This record gives sequence, C-alpha cells and structure tokens, in this order.
Amino acid sequence: MRIQPASKLTTWAVMAIILFMVCACAESGQATGAQDQSKEFQARIDKYLEIHRKAVASVPAIPKETTDAALIAKHEQQIAAAIRSLRPNALVGEIFTPAVRQMIVGTVKQKVDGKAGESAKETILGEGNPKGPESGTSVNLAVNGVYPTTAPLSTVPPSVLMALPTLPKELEYRFVGRNLILRDTVANLIVDFIPNVI
Amino acid sequence: MNPAGKSLRLTFVLLFSLLFQFQAQPQSRPEVQPRPPAAAAAQQPAKQPELKFAILGDTGTGGREQYEVGQKLTATRGTFPFEFVIMLGDNMYGGESARDFQTKFEKPYEALLSTGIKFYASLGNHDVPERQIAYKPFNMGGQRYYTFKPKDGVRFFALDSNYVDKKQLDWLENELKNSGSEWKICFFHHPLYSSGEKHGPSLELRKVLEPLLMKNGVDVVFAGHEHFYERIKPQNGIQYFILGNSAKLRKGGIATSEITAKGFDTDNAFMIAEITGDEMSFQTISRKGTVIDSGKFRRAERKAATND
Repeated sequence: MRIQPASKLTTWAVMAIILFMVCACAESGQATGAQDQSKEFQARIDKYLEIHRKAVASVPAIPKETTDAALIAKHEQQIAAAIRSLRPNALVGEIFTPAVRQMIVGTVKQKVDGKAGESAKETILGEGNPKGPESGTSVNLAVNGVYPTTAPLSTVPPSVLMALPTLPKELEYRFVGRNLILRDTVANLIVDFIPNVI
Repeated sequence: MNPAGKSLRLTFVLLFSLLFQFQAQPQSRPEVQPRPPAAAAAQQPAKQPELKFAILGDTGTGGREQYEVGQKLTATRGTFPFEFVIMLGDNMYGGESARDFQTKFEKPYEALLSTGIKFYASLGNHDVPERQIAYKPFNMGGQRYYTFKPKDGVRFFALDSNYVDKKQLDWLENELKNSGSEWKICFFHHPLYSSGEKHGPSLELRKVLEPLLMKNGVDVVFAGHEHFYERIKPQNGIQYFILGNSAKLRKGGIATSEITAKGFDTDNAFMIAEITGDEMSFQTISRKGTVIDSGKFRRAERKAATND
C-alpha cells in the first residue's frame, strides 16, 4: 500500500492549528501566572492586615474625630510601634515578592511609558513627590520606617491606581522619587517598597 | 411645588427668555457679570439671601500672611455674615503636630472658630490624611472625601484629589446622581483647569473627573494648589475657581491664557460667595481688603429632585 503525501493545504492547516494551540497555551499560562501573582499579593496583604489589626487592637482607641491633635498623633505613633514589634524583622520584598514586583512594575510601566503616559509620569514625579524640589524633607526608604509628616505625599494618577491591585483602606500606594511604596495609612509607616519602578 | 405651579413657572421663564434673550443652556452659560471693584467692603444683595460661605486655599503656613488674611476674613464677616468656610487643601505645611494645628489653623482663625463658624477641609498633597480627617474642627467626619448639605438645595462635595481611586469615583458618582440639590458644588485641591506656570491643570484628574461632573450637573468647582487666584471661563457648563493664595503666594505665577477670565497673583486673597435661588455671586478680596474680582452667574436648569 502506498502512503499518499499530505496536500499542501492540509499541511498548512495542521501547522496553523498547532500554532494556535501553542499561542492559546502561552496566553493561558500568562493569565494563570498573572492570577497567581495577584493571589500571592492578596495573601501577603491579608497577612499584613492581620498584623495591622492586631496592632490597632493593642493600643487605646480614640474617637473617630477629636479636637485633640496631640492624641491623634500619639495614637498613630502607638500603632506604628505596635506594628514594628509584631514584624520586627520585616524585610523589603515581604509583600512585594519578586513575582508580585514584576506584576506591579509591569502595570505601572504600562501607564507611564510612552507619549500616552507622559501626564501620568509627570503627576508622579512632579509636584508633591517628596523627592521634588518643593519638598524640603527627605523620606528614608526603610521597611517599618515612618513617613515624615513634614514631607508631602505624592499624587498618584487615577490611571495608575485603577490598574494596580485594589488595596484595603489601611494601605495605599505612593511614590518617593521613582520608588513605589506601600504605606500604612493609619500608622503612617512604610510597609514595603519597590525601587525604581519608573 | 405642584405641577400647575411648575408649568406656570416654566412658562414664565420661557416668556422671559424670549423677551430678553436670556440663555440658560449649560453650554452657553451667560458670562459672569462683573461688579466694578470699587468698595472694599462686601455689599449686601437686594434679595433675601439663602446661603453665604467663604473659601480659603493653601493656608497652612502659620505665617504673617495667613494671619492677616484671617483677620480680613473675620472683619468681612461683619458685613457679610458667611455661615462656614471651605478649605481647598494644603491646610498644613511642614508638620502636623498639635502645635502645628494651633499655629496654622486654630490661632489664625480663632475669632471665627470662637463664634462657631465651621471649617470644612479638603486634602492637599502636603496634608497627612489620617491626622486631618480625625481632627474634628476640619469637619471631615473621619473621611478623606465626604459631602454635606448646609441648606436645602445646596450640596457640597469635598474630594481627595491626591488619591482618586475607583472607590472614590464610584462614591462620587453615586452621591452626585442621588443628590437632588439644585446646587452641586465640588471642592478639592488639584485644579482641572489652570493657567499656572508651575503646576498647570491636572490633566489626569480631568480625564476621570470632568465627565462625572458634567454628567451629574455640578455647577461650581473650587480648587487650590496653584498659589494664586484664577477665575476660569466656564468649561462645559461648569464654573471653575482656583484659590491657592490664602497664605502661600506665587507672584507672577499665572501665564494668562484663553481660559482665564480673571487672574490675581500679586497678593494673598480669600473668597466669599452667596447663593440666592439660582444665582451665585462672589467676591475675591485681597489680604489688604481690595475686591480684586467679583461677579455673579446662574446655575443651569435641572430636572426635579429625586432624593436629598
């Protein structure tokens, strides 16, 4: 019995199908990868939140509003101290793990690169950034470090905020120069950071 | 008002429009009619007033200029009894200790605070949010963004323009949509329109905020951040003001552009405003007491209220 060679059309069709399947797998892999990174980030955030809530519960509560500005400052400092004691050996990358870092950096770059990202980049690096000329106060990038109240807080463009993973109200993204920080809003602490995101 | 009354009112407005070519369309809002900047003292309007308020921006220096503006504002209240003050951010510069709150807010405005005048603050990039939202005299209710209704028919929305995330946008859209107030007034730190050489307009913010404001019938926006005063020509039916020189000042900071209706960058200033029915009149008064801008405008007609 003689085996007939496949026609050209059939060959191309088979190759196209194989190529399609390879691309689909790659995409699926990427999507799975991104999902994994998000899940990992969420898990790390949740773990930090447990520490945060424990710290808040360990200090005397204050009213939601008070005329006593000294009490507000003291409460913030007490929570910060409690958090430090609960994560004394916290290091850079505990929340922004390498995989998470890659995701975050990629997301930010998408929003600030090129002509389309110019105004977002300008917003981040311009006014309000503590490394800007108006600031007058430097921010020491250190995990568990206090964000000085004398330094401005960078304005984060809505386009960047809406692309990044959503954070609980106890945490926020800010920029110090080109570095992205994760700031504990209640304790005014730097929780983690990624250098040279922009 | 009953339907018959509404029809009568509408008919009257239409007739009035035809006779006097009065335009009430949002896209062609009548120009602000200036009053000659003659008298330094605020003038009482002829009609029965509904709401009076004052505006300050970028105040928290604790410097001589802030105190002087505070004194002038207090003196103005003698002839123009405003009911509260809104603050456009950068309420504290260079620290937020208890002493800072005293020297940069409580003392400069002591005379007003002691008579029970409320201050409603919004957050600037120099402000530590959690310290200020918890500070009761700023009346923020423990929130970075909030709304309040001082009188029937007038609602204010204070935003945190430093950190506009989806949550804030969703909140704002919901609040604006559900507010049946005739007047919707937003105030926040970063201006959407500006002729400032240093900062300029916040284009990123404009992209996300302006459509919301337009869609939901916001009438007026007050912003700070630029350390001068600028009245912007109405943009898409919204009247914009920049007032960022109530303590800080950037002399020569305005590069007057086609959007500038009036600019002032040679001294500090504050504003007073009055709402009377569908009309808002305002005066911008310098630290020395000179009226450097004034005018009035009508808000656009809007459909009947639902809630609020």
